Amino acid sequence: MRADRGRETHVTHTLTSRSGAEVDAISSAREVVQLKGIRKSFGSNEVLRGVDLTVHAGEHVVIFGPSGSGKSTLLRTINLLEPPTAGSLVVDGLEYAHGNAAKRGTPVQLRRTVGMVFQQFNLFPHLTALENITLPLRSVRRVKRAEAENRAAQALKRVGLLRHAAHFPRELSGGQQQRVAIARALSIDPKVMLFDEPTSALDPELVGEVLAVMRELAVSGMTMVVVTHEIGFAREIGDLNVFIDDGNIVEQGPRTIFDSCTDPRTKAFLAAVL
Amino acid sequence: MRVIGSYDWSLLWDNRGTLLAGLRLAIEVSLVALVLSTIVGLILALMRMSAPPVSWIGAAYVNIFRGVPALVSVIWVYFGLSLVLGITFSTFQAGVIALTLLYSAFIAEIYRSALGAVPRGQREAGLALGMHPLRVFGSVTLPQATKIAIPNIGSMFIGMVKDTSTFTVIGLTEVVRVTQNINSTYFQPFVLYTGAAVLYVLVAFLIDFIFRAIEKVMESPPKGRVAQVITRRKRRRIEAVIDRAGVASQAT
Repeated sequence: MRADRGRETHVTHTLTSRSGAEVDAISSAREVVQLKGIRKSFGSNEVLRGVDLTVHAGEHVVIFGPSGSGKSTLLRTINLLEPPTAGSLVVDGLEYAHGNAAKRGTPVQLRRTVGMVFQQFNLFPHLTALENITLPLRSVRRVKRAEAENRAAQALKRVGLLRHAAHFPRELSGGQQQRVAIARALSIDPKVMLFDEPTSALDPELVGEVLAVMRELAVSGMTMVVVTHEIGFAREIGDLNVFIDDGNIVEQGPRTIFDSCTDPRTKAFLAAVL
Repeated sequence: MRVIGSYDWSLLWDNRGTLLAGLRLAIEVSLVALVLSTIVGLILALMRMSAPPVSWIGAAYVNIFRGVPALVSVIWVYFGLSLVLGITFSTFQAGVIALTLLYSAFIAEIYRSALGAVPRGQREAGLALGMHPLRVFGSVTLPQATKIAIPNIGSMFIGMVKDTSTFTVIGLTEVVRVTQNINSTYFQPFVLYTGAAVLYVLVAFLIDFIFRAIEKVMESPPKGRVAQVITRRKRRRIEAVIDRAGVASQAT
C-alpha cells in the first residue's frame, strides 16, 4: 500500500537553484503577487506592521523567521484568509484594498488564482482522495463530473498516489495526505502556490516525499511562496529569501543571504536552526 | 395489594392491530417532526452562531422552548392557537408542530456544538480553493457536523416518540390513547400499560439500531454491509477512473 513511498524519497536531489542570469530574468517577469503596506492586527495585537513584498511569475519566495513573527499570517493575507487591516494587495491583476466594500466578490475571485497547502493538510476527511480534488474542480471550475474525475486522477498520478484515489485521508500516511493536498491545490490551476509549513506536522521520514513533490513543482516553473523551517530546502529552491521578525521584513535577498546576512536577528535565527 | 381478577396478557395480542396502529401514528408524527426539527434546529444553530442581534433571537428561542414540556406545547398549539388566532390544526398537525417547537431547540444545541467541533482548517481549506462560502458550508462543514450530530439526533428521536404519549390530551390516537380506550373496555391497566411500555422500548431499540447503521454508513471509509451496498457504485466508478488514468504505468 505504501510501496511507492520509497520510490519518492530516492528522487535525486537535483540542484534547482538558479543562476544569476535566471534570477535577473525572473525579477523582470510579470508580478503575480504585490503586497503594499500590509498590516494585520488581531485586537490590539499588531502581527504585521506594514509589509511590502512582490512575487514575480516563476519566482520561489521562501519566508522564514521565529515562531510568532507573523510569517504564516503574511502568507494567509495573500489569499485573504486573513484580510489585512491596512494596505493593499494585487494577485494576478485582482486588487484588494482594505475597506474597499464595493468589491465584495473579490476574496472568492482572488482565491481562485491562489493555491494553498496547510501545515495540517486539511484534507476533507469525509471524502476520498479523488473526491477531495473533484469537489473544488466541480464547484470552482464548473468542470463536469466525468471530466473532473479524470483530471483529479491525473493530479493524483502526478504526486504518485493514483492507486490511492479511493482511499479516505485517514487511510493515508501524513506524507501521502500532504501530497494529495498539493494535488488538490494544483487542480484549480493557480497562478501561485502558498505553502504554510507543509512539512512541520510530518514524521521526519515522511518529509522527503513531500519535499520531492514541491521540488518537482519548483522545477516545473510554478510560482511559489513557502513558509518553512527546512532551511536546506529553502537554500535549494529559494530565489528570494525573506526573513521576517516581529511583523516586519528584517532582511531579504537571494540565496547568498544565508551566508551574508547582516541583521543580528537573522544571524541569531539562522545560527539556531542551521 | 390485591389485584382483582387475573392478568390477561392475551389482551395485548387480541388488540395488537389497534396498538400497532397507535404506535405507527406516534412514529409518523415523530418522523415528520424530526425532519422539520433538524431543519429548524440547523437554522437556529446558525442564528446562535451569528452576530449579536440575530444570535440573541436564536438563544432566546432555544432557552425558552427547551424548558417547555410537550404536554404544555401541544395544548398551546392545539387549543391556544385556535382560541387566540382562530387557527385550527388536525391532531396530527398539532402534534408535529408541538414536537418541532421543542426539539428544534434541542437539535439547535446539538448542531451548534457539532458545527463548532469541525476544525477551522476545514473551512479555510475550502475557502482557499476558491469555493463559495455557502458551498464550503454545504459540502465541507455540514456533512462533517452532521456525522458528529447523528447519535444525539437519534436520542432526540427516541424522546420524540415517547413525548407523543402526552398528545393523548388532544385526542391523537397514539399508543397511550388506544391503551386507554382498550382499558376502558377490559379494565386491565397493568397488562395494557405494560404492553404500551414494551412497545416504546422496542421502538427505542429499533431507532437506536437504525441510527447506528446510519453512523456506520457515514464513517470514512463506510463500515458494514449496508454501506458496502450503498457505496458499491461509487467504488466501481473510482476504480474505472484509476484504470483509465493508467495504473499500469505507475506500478512499481
